Amino acid sequence: MSFDLDTTNDDTTVVHIGKALDFRNAAEFKKLCQERVRDGSRNFVLDFSDTGILDSTGLGSIFSLYRQVSPLNGQVVFAAVSRPVQVVVQLTRTYKVFRQFPSVQDAQEALN
Amino acid sequence: MDDTLYRFQSLDTLIEEVHTLFDQWERSEHRPPAIALRTMYLVKLAVHEWVANLIQHASFHHAPPQVQLRIRPSGSDVCCMIADNSDGFDLQAYFETAPSALQAFPERGTGLLILQSCTEELSYERTSDGFNRLSFRVSADQDSWLSILY
Repeated sequence: MSFDLDTTNDDTTVVHIGKALDFRNAAEFKKLCQERVRDGSRNFVLDFSDTGILDSTGLGSIFSLYRQVSPLNGQVVFAAVSRPVQVVVQLTRTYKVFRQFPSVQDAQEALN
Repeated sequence: MDDTLYRFQSLDTLIEEVHTLFDQWERSEHRPPAIALRTMYLVKLAVHEWVANLIQHASFHHAPPQVQLRIRPSGSDVCCMIADNSDGFDLQAYFETAPSALQAFPERGTGLLILQSCTEELSYERTSDGFNRLSFRVSADQDSWLSILY
């Protein structure tokens, strides 16, 4: 379970999460995002369109990314949130922190 | 989805096998009409968090791992039982101390609290045959949440 990343401009990266962001791949997610931050990315769009599970460890890795980019005036936003992920967003009320957009394109337009 | 006891014997494949079961149940032909998809996703999340905890933290040093899962529809609710032959731990003590130890934007330590938040009638006990048995109900009317500092 790896991730596809697109860098759309100098400071925005789209991460296509795929089937899962959980204890099995959260460390890889953190590592890839840290590399992108080092390369200049400040804004991250997380595409959850195909995601069947976001667990506590996966959520923790998103919090880690948020803590990394917030001091740099960066943002982490959610796009195309699947219903299983929406359940986690509601349960943990992370909608207070991460803006949600219907699609990756909508998120990118809002960040530009 | 019916009242069947599923048995797992490998921690290496446990999470994949559990998700395969849920993938089948999420398809309408395997899910009782009374069970809403949202309820099913909460059940999947709760089971996933417990199984993830078993895989990452449980000690099975005295015997080959055995994990049993039973999921039973109850009207629009779902009742679950997960048993394992690990050494177990004091879940109640964890629930009493963990929330106050949580920092803002926590990276770890929320899995079991998420499980607690999305379930009712949660119990964890040692059985006479040497298993630890977690039982809970996921209600169709569930509206609680986990308080995390942001």
